[in-house]
Amino acid sequence: MKLQIILAGVGGQGILFSSKIFSELGLRLGLDIMGSETHGMSQRGGSVIAHLRLGKFQSPIIRTGTANILYSFEENETYRNLNFLRRGSLCFVNLESMDRFDKKILKYLKEREITFKVCDAGGAATKIGSVLAANIVLIGFSVGTGLVPFKYEDLKYVLQLVSRKKDLGINLKAFEIGFKEGKLLKNR
Amino acid sequence: MAKEKETRILLGNAAIARGIIEAGCHVFTSYPGTPSSEIVPAAVQFKRELGLDTYIEWSTNEKVAFDNALAASLTGKRAAVAMKQVGLNVASDSLMSSAYTGVIGGLVLVSCDDPGPLSSQTEQDSRFFAMFAKVPVYDPSTPQEAKEMVKEAFELSETFQIPVILRPTIRVSHAKQNVKLLPVKVLDRPANFKRDPERWAATPKYRFFLHKKLNETIKKIQERFENDTKWNYEVGKRRGVSFGIITCSVSFVVLLDILEELRLKKVVNVLKIGTPYPLPQKKVAEFIKRHKKVIVIEETDSVIESQIINKSKVLGRLTGHIPLQGELAPDVIYNILAGVLKEHGITNLKKIIDTKLKRLVESLNLNVRKPTLCAGCPERGVFFAIKKALPKAIYPSDIGCYTLGLNLKAVDTVLDMGAGITFASGFYQAYFQDKNDIPIVATMGDSTFYHAGTASLINAVYNKTRFILVILDNEITAMTGMQPTPGLGIRADGSEGNKIPLKELIKGCGVKWIKTIDPYDVKNLIKLLKKAREYTQKSDGGIAVIIAKHPCIIPYPEVLKDNPVKVEITEDCNGCMYCIDFFECPALLRNEEENRVEIDRMFCVDCGVCLNACPRGAIIPVGN
Repeated sequence: MKLQIILAGVGGQGILFSSKIFSELGLRLGLDIMGSETHGMSQRGGSVIAHLRLGKFQSPIIRTGTANILYSFEENETYRNLNFLRRGSLCFVNLESMDRFDKKILKYLKEREITFKVCDAGGAATKIGSVLAANIVLIGFSVGTGLVPFKYEDLKYVLQLVSRKKDLGINLKAFEIGFKEGKLLKNR
Repeated sequence: MAKEKETRILLGNAAIARGIIEAGCHVFTSYPGTPSSEIVPAAVQFKRELGLDTYIEWSTNEKVAFDNALAASLTGKRAAVAMKQVGLNVASDSLMSSAYTGVIGGLVLVSCDDPGPLSSQTEQDSRFFAMFAKVPVYDPSTPQEAKEMVKEAFELSETFQIPVILRPTIRVSHAKQNVKLLPVKVLDRPANFKRDPERWAATPKYRFFLHKKLNETIKKIQERFENDTKWNYEVGKRRGVSFGIITCSVSFVVLLDILEELRLKKVVNVLKIGTPYPLPQKKVAEFIKRHKKVIVIEETDSVIESQIINKSKVLGRLTGHIPLQGELAPDVIYNILAGVLKEHGITNLKKIIDTKLKRLVESLNLNVRKPTLCAGCPERGVFFAIKKALPKAIYPSDIGCYTLGLNLKAVDTVLDMGAGITFASGFYQAYFQDKNDIPIVATMGDSTFYHAGTASLINAVYNKTRFILVILDNEITAMTGMQPTPGLGIRADGSEGNKIPLKELIKGCGVKWIKTIDPYDVKNLIKLLKKAREYTQKSDGGIAVIIAKHPCIIPYPEVLKDNPVKVEITEDCNGCMYCIDFFECPALLRNEEENRVEIDRMFCVDCGVCLNACPRGAIIPVGN
């Protein structure tokens, strides 16, 4: 398997933690891991992006038009990073509703056969008392839709592995909520 | 202990730290700076995990770090020193001289480059420093390779008694990869400095001989690199292929992925160079000879290209085929490749630049998300107060989070570490010469002050300059990831050191007027700034220093719980956006539809500092 994932958002949204989840997942699946992260000045509320390449890759950065999945935790960062996606790829966005998204761009994504799914991950995470867990909700959501090649059990295992003790409970809860949302969408 | 053949996902900098540890390094020093800052914390973690007694320190600056590591090497121990590329400017004095005097125990200098630049004031290529100083440099392509190169660098350094540089770029330092952990070398080397003043205290006369010896050494190292096939090797080596690419660092692996993806491996030969200085000249010349044209793709500058003796077949920056600035991102390399392969009739690659999407996204006019001071950052209060108290002053500032005071329009200059103070004294003298008295408010962080502030401040006091210096004392090196400072007195491994209190240090520099204030108290800070200005104008006045002391809220979020002030915005908000423009807190949101400002509860930390930010008084405590 060769899989290229972009994780996008702003400083403080847990992009690096999400990247850690997918790299540990890759290791569990026996894949090589290559990736790249933003550290330093741009972490101060600026755009943060992580590239992750699972499988036989030599270099850490994803080229325009070649990514398989984009996880975006913020609306504007979604628009900025759509250029990474290849034809027929997947896009999961933390957004209250699809209506907010630009119609012309939705049409464009359709032309490129890009599957675009939104989940109010921020809202769901706030409800369980930790807005910071929105990233995990969105990841759970993607797994629930059945569109991504990741298994529920593997993700749960990895969450247990990488979460700090005090965050584990909330992270698992966030994952479950997201997963259920995704499943609902799948069965609709 | 590391299990046999254990694989771990490591950040490039952690892989470098692991290499330093596996090489049996005894002493490791550093000053933080993106993209090098994660090496020390990772080394501390490996040291703990393995129960080693490696000595690891955060030094006060890069030169200090270099000298401390070098001294350890003189006692026969292995030593490493890490910094960012502009840090090497600070340490360059020591580097140049140590190339002549050499080392005993292996000495490896890690200098992390920042093409882009993403988090630096220049894009300088540290490999030029290797050429300048005449010391060898390794140029890794991946975290795994960086780890192995560090280990060989120690061996090379010891064999030839010369400092050796490892030059990772940010895409290696901040890449992550599954890396194989290997056992740690145990080297029993009690400190044993052998007196040799002709070498260690060489006078200019002997320096000539040391220089001659250095030239001979670098020649021998070049021969060794000629025969090396571990870091300098050819991929493909197909006969009948007319086009060759010489490349290095992360550009090499980016290129391999592109060639693989586009199935172009058969139309070009690639020579990877892992030791760009001294360049294995014969190897390179032989490669060029076998091809009709060769392009050199290297980051950040033209170190390999400029060393090539016969350039008649060579394309690169000097022939305008490679951009002269900026990162060689995968898209850039793709375009370079598409251009030259087309130019030489090899293949016609379609450029995959998506102009339609670009146009659609541009039409949305998205707000540019520039870095900002965090919600609750104590430095915001300082800049807001400065702008209020002395709106016409000149504002020299410095390197750190507080560079972002730019956004609050209270930073005019940022040159390098320490220039906040030297610019203030320089501006003062330039105006004073014309008998002009102009307010100057310099800002500098605590860590930067320990790094480069004292010499500048002593000079300013000695030469009778007058200005206000605000030291932003948040008790930490925040921008680079929360490293402790001498003021905090905690050392790299978490143990207790001796605290160096700022106030005493500033007093020792000869400053007579020093006040400490909590910058959350904006009203009194404004008053204090005005008093400071008066002091600079008094007949017996001078430099006024304000220590704005408040812990950084990222590592110390608990300080926010002491006295939380929940705020709200009343109907009096008329959408003037003054608070957005001059207070610029990520928790203040512009609501364009209703033409007013709102609080974003996701970001707001209840610091209450913005109560001062509205000219109409529309920001008030909740329930008032």
